[in-house]
Amino acid sequence: MSPIGRIWNVIRRRRLDEELRQELDTHLALIEEEERANGRSEDGARRHARLRFGAPSVHRERSLDSVTATWLVDAMKEVGFAARRLWRSPAFTLATVLTLGLAIGANTSIFAVVHRVLLNPLPYGDSSRLIALDYGVPIANVSSGINFMTWQLYHQLADHARTLERVAVYDTGEVTLTGVGEPERIRVSHATPSLVPVLRMSPEIGRWFTEQEGVPGAPAVAVLSHGLWVRRYAKDPHVLGRSVILDGVSTTIVGVMPADFTFPNARIDLWSAAQSTRATASFLFVVTGIARLRDGVTMASARSEMTALIADLARVSPNQTGLVSTALPLQDAIVGRVASALWIVLASVALVLLVACANVANLFLVRSEARQREVAVRRALGAGRMGVARYFLAESLILSIAGAVVGMGLAWVASQLLVAFGPNSLPRLEEVRLDAAVLAFALVLGVLTAGCFGVIPLARIAPLHASLHEAGRGGSASRDRSRLRQLLMGGQIALALILVVSSGLMLRSFQKLRAVDPGFNAASALTFRIGLPNREYQSRRAVLAAHDAILGRLSAIPGVAAVSATTCLPLQTRCFGNSVLVEGRAFDRNRAPTVTWFNAVAPGYVEAMGMRLVRGRTINRTDVELGQPIVVVNKAFADTIFPGQDPVGKRIRSSTPPNSRFKAPDWLEIVGVVSNTPGTSLAERTPGVQLYMPMSIAGGPDIPAQALVGPSVDMMSYVVRTVTPPSQSVALVRAAIASVDPHLALADVRTLDEVLDGAAAQMAFTMVLIAIAAIVALALGIVGIYGVMSYIVSQRTSEIGVRLALGAEPRSVATMILRQGSVVAFTGAAVGVAAALAGSRLIASLLYGISPRDPAVFAGTTVLLLTVAAAACWLPARRAARLSPLEALRTD
Amino acid sequence: MPKHSNDRLQGTLDLLILKILDRAGPQHGYGIAQRIHQATSDSLRIEEGSLYPALQRMTHEKWLKAQWGTTDTGRKARFYTVTAAGRKQLEEEERRWITLTEAVNKALRFA
Repeated sequence: MSPIGRIWNVIRRRRLDEELRQELDTHLALIEEEERANGRSEDGARRHARLRFGAPSVHRERSLDSVTATWLVDAMKEVGFAARRLWRSPAFTLATVLTLGLAIGANTSIFAVVHRVLLNPLPYGDSSRLIALDYGVPIANVSSGINFMTWQLYHQLADHARTLERVAVYDTGEVTLTGVGEPERIRVSHATPSLVPVLRMSPEIGRWFTEQEGVPGAPAVAVLSHGLWVRRYAKDPHVLGRSVILDGVSTTIVGVMPADFTFPNARIDLWSAAQSTRATASFLFVVTGIARLRDGVTMASARSEMTALIADLARVSPNQTGLVSTALPLQDAIVGRVASALWIVLASVALVLLVACANVANLFLVRSEARQREVAVRRALGAGRMGVARYFLAESLILSIAGAVVGMGLAWVASQLLVAFGPNSLPRLEEVRLDAAVLAFALVLGVLTAGCFGVIPLARIAPLHASLHEAGRGGSASRDRSRLRQLLMGGQIALALILVVSSGLMLRSFQKLRAVDPGFNAASALTFRIGLPNREYQSRRAVLAAHDAILGRLSAIPGVAAVSATTCLPLQTRCFGNSVLVEGRAFDRNRAPTVTWFNAVAPGYVEAMGMRLVRGRTINRTDVELGQPIVVVNKAFADTIFPGQDPVGKRIRSSTPPNSRFKAPDWLEIVGVVSNTPGTSLAERTPGVQLYMPMSIAGGPDIPAQALVGPSVDMMSYVVRTVTPPSQSVALVRAAIASVDPHLALADVRTLDEVLDGAAAQMAFTMVLIAIAAIVALALGIVGIYGVMSYIVSQRTSEIGVRLALGAEPRSVATMILRQGSVVAFTGAAVGVAAALAGSRLIASLLYGISPRDPAVFAGTTVLLLTVAAAACWLPARRAARLSPLEALRTD
Repeated sequence: MPKHSNDRLQGTLDLLILKILDRAGPQHGYGIAQRIHQATSDSLRIEEGSLYPALQRMTHEKWLKAQWGTTDTGRKARFYTVTAAGRKQLEEEERRWITLTEAVNKALRFA
């Protein structure tokens, strides 16, 4: 008979029992009939039948046992008893379940993030074959990390790469969507028609772009994101074939992508077909590429083929010289940056779980000692070691499963919070959810912890005579039991110390990051971006006029102290970058050119941003109005390009390829030097080399990008410095802009302080998570130390009584207890410090401006932990000192 | 569930129950006990304490089919019938029994 049938019979045991009862009743009655037929009296027949038949309940039980899984019945009984016992000690049960729930919840929620973000394959077809096209320039000491490429390179790879099944490139940007309802600034991705086929996805409704739509001259088409479709079109299926106006260009909607399609990121509202041919392809690094490897092709062979193809291309188009392919799996490219942070956070919460386990093990030890008498009786009555093991395992199993359930609840709340408050820089966060795998993880954790602390009392099942003896008279318990407690306590201190040190390091890094001089004044300033649609603002002159009008209206707002604009706000946007030529200095072929970030600015930008002028002067109204060929550079520019020289008065220009069909840009005279500002990250090792030019001499809609005169001024970030809190001015700012052009939409409205916060958000996120782990571990640790010390005092009560009675000073008794605690605390702390030092390399990648072995942090946190531990020891020690000798001696 | 093919005593009870039911058609527990009693001319008395576990087990092994019915005297009883699987089991048990008894007989004769 199958084991499953036997388990099934456990479940329907009651019904089987009832049937058997009836069957046996009939049998008994038939025997009675027989006895009566043999001439017995009514009573005699019944008695004889009973005698012949035996006890029906025994028959029933034996019959049922022969077809059911008896072990399961026993286990269920044991669990039932355990549940009743736990119900009778609510304080113990609650403390254990909450401790476990907290630790399991923390682990489960972080695991949910790790599982989705790092472990789960990307939500695209056969995603393991997808690669991100990444490049390096070894001759310029850039080993990898250039995730931009040129259209020329795209066509080269698309036409010739045999190792790649298909290549796609895209860029991201913003356009103003007009037509139905309010004008809205939306995020778009211009992508080749190959993008969705490379990812092996398909639209929710409608279709994706055709190859013909990727050729210049084809009608403009777009595909909506699910989010935009819901938000703006209320899921109207008739949206297909309708036109929308994107930056003034009428575009036909041909499809809608499903909600889980979030490439290249979850904030994209719309995809439009990028149009390009090999003949007209640009040599500017403006697009990002992905590709699908052909089956059986290795990454290495794809890289070497791509590098060879780049070399072929560079013969025709020299600005791609020296570029090599450092393609990597798409998953690594997307989540690589956060992987180490997430693993470290997961490790931190795993340490918390260990601390929690130590605590629960301690509670269990106390409980198992209180139960010595009961256990002794059980054993005296013949229960084997297994029987006693079941007794404790049943309790720990119930507690762990309850803890796991509480943990799942907490994890649900925590994962909602993580998704809501996680930094934008954490990719795929929107995919995080509690699924079956995550819940299974919680349950497995629960059962593992049950194993961890459930076996501890088992190791303590004393020989029968000893346990009976001990149970008979509570007194000096065995020495090794208190050693086990001290081991647990020391372990907790060591684990807590590791976490406190880590969070101390993170905290100091975060402080250092926030203390970085951003080179501008972030207080009381509002910023937002405005893009002028090329259809309506067709020339640089028109764009400049609009910006001028907006600047005028904004400066008229009461409470506004200064207004300006730039194409390249610190820490925010991608900027126009190119190398520069210095007048009178020959181009050095052997040295890799320094990339300079070009800012085109409105008058008074340096003043409005609160940047410091180091030398010379800034760009004023006249410079912009007259289009003066001047430039202001930052300190990094001066130090890099003119080391040891005064750059003011020197002339530079944007460099162009030798065979450019455009007129070389004008020479620009350096008139001033200003403070450095961070380019993309506060943690930049070397500050970005930047220059500032009047917006009137930069690029525009009517100036080809390949002329390389400077960034196009059609999209600019405004800075509005206010004397009142900046957020109060937002409505007035919107009204002022609408009065210039009601179709203009504002993007990324933030204060400069928020820009700085955003730059530190990822570190803040990691720091907060590790700090929470440290605080929980510390709190659990204190409870654990207090518990152990209290236990030690209670155990030594009669000894203390003797000491006091013999004239020991209460103070010396307290010292004795404290000494016992501090030996454990110091040992634990020493182990913790050693472990933290050994593991410090692991956390180094998360830190900024501080050594992972920073002595101040190590010393400070160790002192903090020992102080807290001393306080937790002090209370039980004081209690010991205050014992009255009489009472202490009377204690059993 | 381990096969009790080596457990002769158990095998014997199974064999007897199967044989009775195969020959006499549907029977309830009391009837089976009676018939074994009669068939062996009072020399084998089946304990109810062994009969019912055996019936339960054989039913769950699908050798027997149990159905509720009414006795001649109007009592509700469970009647057992041999299934096809039970018949196969019966043949096997019979063959094994004969082999065993022949072997034992031989041993007794020549020992």
